[in-house]
Amino acid sequence: MNTNNNVYTVIYTTVIVVIVAALLAFVSQSLKAKQEANEKADTISQMLTSAQYGTKAEISGLGNAAVLEKYAQEIDKAFVIDLEGNVLRDLDEMEVYSPKQLKRQNYNIKGGPNKTGEPELPVFLFKNGRTVVPIYGAGLWGPIWGYMSFDTDLKTIGGAYFDHESETAGLGAKIKDDPSFQQEFVGEVADFSSKNVFEIVKGGAPKDAEGKSVVDNKIDAISGATMTSQGLDAAIDTWLGAYAKYFMGNAPKKQHCGKCGHHHEGEEVESNEVEE
Amino acid sequence: MDAKLKETILNPIFKGNPITVLVLGICSSLAVTVTLKGALVMALSVIVVCGISSLILSLLRNTIPGRVRIIVQLVVVAMMVILVDQVLKSFEATYAIDKQLSVYIGLIITNCIVMGRIEAFALGNKPWPSFLDGVANGAGYGLILIIVAFFRELLGSGTLFGIDILNRFGYVPNNLVILPPFALILLGCIVWVQRSIQKDLQEK
Repeated sequence: MNTNNNVYTVIYTTVIVVIVAALLAFVSQSLKAKQEANEKADTISQMLTSAQYGTKAEISGLGNAAVLEKYAQEIDKAFVIDLEGNVLRDLDEMEVYSPKQLKRQNYNIKGGPNKTGEPELPVFLFKNGRTVVPIYGAGLWGPIWGYMSFDTDLKTIGGAYFDHESETAGLGAKIKDDPSFQQEFVGEVADFSSKNVFEIVKGGAPKDAEGKSVVDNKIDAISGATMTSQGLDAAIDTWLGAYAKYFMGNAPKKQHCGKCGHHHEGEEVESNEVEE
Repeated sequence: MDAKLKETILNPIFKGNPITVLVLGICSSLAVTVTLKGALVMALSVIVVCGISSLILSLLRNTIPGRVRIIVQLVVVAMMVILVDQVLKSFEATYAIDKQLSVYIGLIITNCIVMGRIEAFALGNKPWPSFLDGVANGAGYGLILIIVAFFRELLGSGTLFGIDILNRFGYVPNNLVILPPFALILLGCIVWVQRSIQKDLQEK
């Protein structure tokens, strides 16, 4: 048989490609449920990590079932808000946002041709008092996303965990792999009144005399990963900016009490309210 | 087993090792050797992809049109790589390791060992020897990966398979070992050792 015949070549390649495509489609469909279960457990372990229930390795090491169980135990409230900070609906039990859903909301926040509707942003309140919100954006090679948790004052960062699809190993991938980078966020304060809610700065964040990071909304970027650092900075600004009204509206009021000279947190002091 | 078949299996493991002698697959061997677990999964993936792609293409070898043979090889290898990636993603035990290896599983398709063995061996030999050749070359690659990963994880993290070995004796993990350049140095040392044992490899 002449295998160099044109008709033979075209038919041969067509048949091969169709067989391979059908096989891959079949495998992809039959494994989808398992893959989604793994992804969900991974997403939940990322949220638990950012809420400081342990390191990512510790939490993931529990196994999928135990991670879901821990989440069910520790979650207090989970709901969806709009850009004004109003609660739209409660999330179903065990419902979380996959990276794909975050991507859709990212378009909705930023607007433009890919916008499909008004943003619906998830908020997760954990029983240890921390509020966890997601972030999503573009790194150098692909999407980056993650979770940040805030203490009860709704501005001090309790923890952060970031993930990525294809950042450079050893450089941009450090947003996920380097625990010391994620540790830098802890204790810093987001500035929800500003457009730059949080900044990842080149050349070092401001330090005090003892060489410790000043409590502000700046941390040091990753050397050799300028684009990933900038992408993460933009992602955090976009998402925390979208949550700003919720955080500012629900933050405990801190007022100076004229009578005793102390700061009171979380309670309204009537004597300072001026009725008009 | 006849001598020729034995040679097919043993040659790629040491005498004609794809990494240290043919110098193929260097890129991924620098990238995935930070932990033993990662190296092991990568090695097994390459063995599966290499073995089965060689088998399929050897079965098809007399029907493949000569002018598009590279494209047909590419389609088959890509299919195997995607299958391996999908399967790794589906199991709880391998999901995390697949995420850690991320692009490198997908990049097995660019590993010169796979296409190199298909082009050089599978297209001219019967299915069974081709399959063994693919597996053996994957194993030769995997062997070097595991040797490199053993030293990198032991010295870079003080652990083996994530189990603490050196840290309990007050060992401070060496960060240089974690970085890819150290893998290249280690690889150089392995080539050095092999060339001093195998004198015929030395250039005059």
